[in-house]
Amino acid sequence: MNAMAMLWASILLGGIAQILLKRGVTAAQAESGNKPERWWLGLLTSGWIWSWAAAFTAATGLWLLAVSQLSISYAFPLLSAGYVLVAILSRIFLGEKVSWKRWAAIAMICAGVILISRQ
Amino acid sequence: MSEARAVMLASLSGKKASMHKNRVAEAAVLGSVLFAAAGHLLIKSGLNTLTTASAHAGLAPRLLGYMLHPAVISGLAIYAIGTAMWVFAVSRRDISYLVPFSALNYVVVALGGVWLFRERIPSTRWLGILVVFAGVWLMQRWGSEESR
Repeated sequence: MNAMAMLWASILLGGIAQILLKRGVTAAQAESGNKPERWWLGLLTSGWIWSWAAAFTAATGLWLLAVSQLSISYAFPLLSAGYVLVAILSRIFLGEKVSWKRWAAIAMICAGVILISRQ
Repeated sequence: MSEARAVMLASLSGKKASMHKNRVAEAAVLGSVLFAAAGHLLIKSGLNTLTTASAHAGLAPRLLGYMLHPAVISGLAIYAIGTAMWVFAVSRRDISYLVPFSALNYVVVALGGVWLFRERIPSTRWLGILVVFAGVWLMQRWGSEESR
């Protein structure tokens, strides 16, 4: 796998990981029954959460492999594509309402990240 | 009349409670960003001292050496606390609202570079830091309406 493919795979997996985490947390809260304050115990046995951990670990590994071959100032601003990806995925898979105000904030944050990485 | 007042009071206290809830989630996000950055710096400082020492060892002993280094262990522990704070925030707010806050990580790393290594920040980078802050502020101020 070349470095660019690993970088995009890392961004994609990182975004998917956040969706899995939110799913797992929501499911654990819903299933906590008569002990709602102990909802987090459900995380330990949740398939969503273990998938999140696996996706997160794989994304981190791919990122490290990618930046060992690419310049960090090139790879770094591309990470902000993850915010856009999470917004889209959260809408499709979690039914979150991503308002234009949220999109405006995401666009501004992406612009800031790009400026930070400029040499 | 007293009924109306009770309803008003209830709605007021409800609003207060939800505002409090918001701030707790946002404080947890800020904490998770700071802990993650501190964890990364500690892990990196530990790895820096080890890579020169064990460059010729095999992969498994090298990994074991990394994992047993005190700076790496404490870095991982701090990173784990940051992750727990992130999970807590995720339990309270939309993921599309929270994830862009993680851009503050770059701000912390950039500012940490100035503080720890006396790096000079070029003016475009300062501008970027300001724009990220403005974006996060915008998100917090206007994008915080929950889907549920």
